[in-house]
Amino acid sequence: MQVSKQSRQFARQLFRLSLADGQISAERVNSVLIYLNQHPPRQPLAILKHYHRLVATQLAKNHASVEHAGPIADSILQTIERALTQKYQRPVTATAQPNPDLIAGLRITVGDDVYESSIPSHLAALASSV
Amino acid sequence: MSTVIEQIEQQIAQLSSKAVKKNTGTIRSVADGVAKVDGLSDVMYNEMVQFPGNAIGIALNLEEDEVGCVVLGDVSQLKEGDEVQTTGRLLSVPVGKMLLGRVVDALGRPVDGKGPIDAKEFYPAEKIAPGIIVRKSVSQPVLTGIMAIDSMIPIGRGQRELIIGDRSTGKTTIVIDTIINQARINRQGLASKDPGFRPLYSIYVVIGQKQSNVARTIASLEAADALQYTIIVAATAADNPADQYIAPYAGAAMGEWFMENGMDALVVYDDLSKHAVAYRQISLILKRPSGREAYPGDVFYLHSRLLERAARLADKGSLTALPIIETLASDVSAYIPTNVISITDGQIYLEIDLFNQGIRPAVSVGLSVSRVGSSAQLKMTKQVAGKLKGELAQFRELAAFAQFGSDLDARTRAQLDRGARIVELFKQPAFNPIPIEVQAAVLWAMQNNYFDPIDVKKIVGAANHLQEFLNTRKRALLDALRQKAAIDDTLTAELKKALEEWKGTYTG
Repeated sequence: MQVSKQSRQFARQLFRLSLADGQISAERVNSVLIYLNQHPPRQPLAILKHYHRLVATQLAKNHASVEHAGPIADSILQTIERALTQKYQRPVTATAQPNPDLIAGLRITVGDDVYESSIPSHLAALASSV
Repeated sequence: MSTVIEQIEQQIAQLSSKAVKKNTGTIRSVADGVAKVDGLSDVMYNEMVQFPGNAIGIALNLEEDEVGCVVLGDVSQLKEGDEVQTTGRLLSVPVGKMLLGRVVDALGRPVDGKGPIDAKEFYPAEKIAPGIIVRKSVSQPVLTGIMAIDSMIPIGRGQRELIIGDRSTGKTTIVIDTIINQARINRQGLASKDPGFRPLYSIYVVIGQKQSNVARTIASLEAADALQYTIIVAATAADNPADQYIAPYAGAAMGEWFMENGMDALVVYDDLSKHAVAYRQISLILKRPSGREAYPGDVFYLHSRLLERAARLADKGSLTALPIIETLASDVSAYIPTNVISITDGQIYLEIDLFNQGIRPAVSVGLSVSRVGSSAQLKMTKQVAGKLKGELAQFRELAAFAQFGSDLDARTRAQLDRGARIVELFKQPAFNPIPIEVQAAVLWAMQNNYFDPIDVKKIVGAANHLQEFLNTRKRALLDALRQKAAIDDTLTAELKKALEEWKGTYTG
């Protein structure tokens, strides 16, 4: 769907209103949704989709998805959380996601950043170096 | 045996289990060679990004919530949702002498089927031009082998000389002649083992040309044994606009390597009109604001930053640029032609009317100019061609009166005769550059009235006969001319003697 410039600007404005101390506030998001419900703008679907994308991107920055092939202990997840929180200077929570395609190793995704040490990534590096 | 173990250990060390960090994004849309990408929060302006299937992109639009990338290579495999990752590297291309004799694409990858290129060095495609302090004025010539250009519109090493004209007026032929002539000079110079000889390597950048034309050009260069001193960067009409946009910068980077390493290079951009059109297409798809003729606001900077990279550096080498511009209906006042005319150090204007009259190369002497090249012209050429431009200008002025009948005084008639002979003398077939010493001898003969008794229609034949005579029977004189590069009293006497001898052999 083609989103107009005005709709994108409006969605960005709503997104900024949803932040409290640089973090997404559930309370503010709720208020924004109520406001949109009471005062439907032009292109409501486009605005809501763009708003959703911005909020999801922001939330992804505080969330680490830890993909693993074998079992992973809670203590490892906590260690990862601590390390990432320290690195990014913001609270980061980690959740485990089993991914047998990795064979061995981990892939951690925090927002746009991907940290990977797994068999497929090493094989890919080897393939590109040959 | 221990070295084998060490090699394996090194390989293991390279594959250490250390985690690799990537900054990624996902494709939101792909259209006409441009991908809009979500994410890529760490991407730099002009950074190379890696698309799936080995396609490379360049981040050109960094917006608040998306990145606009032009994709180099095949875009047909890309789809919405594909992962894109940053590389941390600005767009760079392989450089060095191993590229000579090869045909590469805009990223420096071989497309000639002659195997991979083992490049040791890479240069960024986009680079800030050398500053004022490191530059040196132009003082060494680039010899095109075209008599009309070398004598009246001389080009120097480090100069930017525009070649402008309508379609099919011989623009590409001029640059191919120049490349062939340089190859001949290189062969001669390198064979002489003269320590002071500086070869000039050529880079021919094809932008938006037909592939059949490129194949023909390559064949011409191969036939003249000039490909070994030439790199061809091909972004043809079949390639996407991003390749066409990048190709001249890649060519400039390859030329800069020669310049930075104390060598001389010549880079030809064929042509910048199509480059501007490719950039306009990219800009419109990236939704950048458009201006005159729908070109984006930075279309002047697009060409100025490219052509400013041509320079002659103190204690290093030089990079000469020959950009080509194709005009529509001879309109030199259009947007892109005026831009490039104002950037370059002169232009060679080719006229369709002259071309149709059979005057080839169809150089319009009145509209062509070289702003810095005269200081690079050889003394012997200055001696024989100093007055030519004026004489031709007078001829053009008087030619209009000649139509009114025979009431012309003897002096005017002589000027007209001289002008007509000069015009004939400058006719030259394609891919047949003339060595500078032969040019000087032929022009000396013209200045000393040796062509006056010959009928105007027979001048071309007489000039060819004279060239053949000099090449076959007066080699020593030509060698002396080339080495001295000036016509002194001794050489004048020898030239006189040789031409008297030629007069005896020429039967018309």
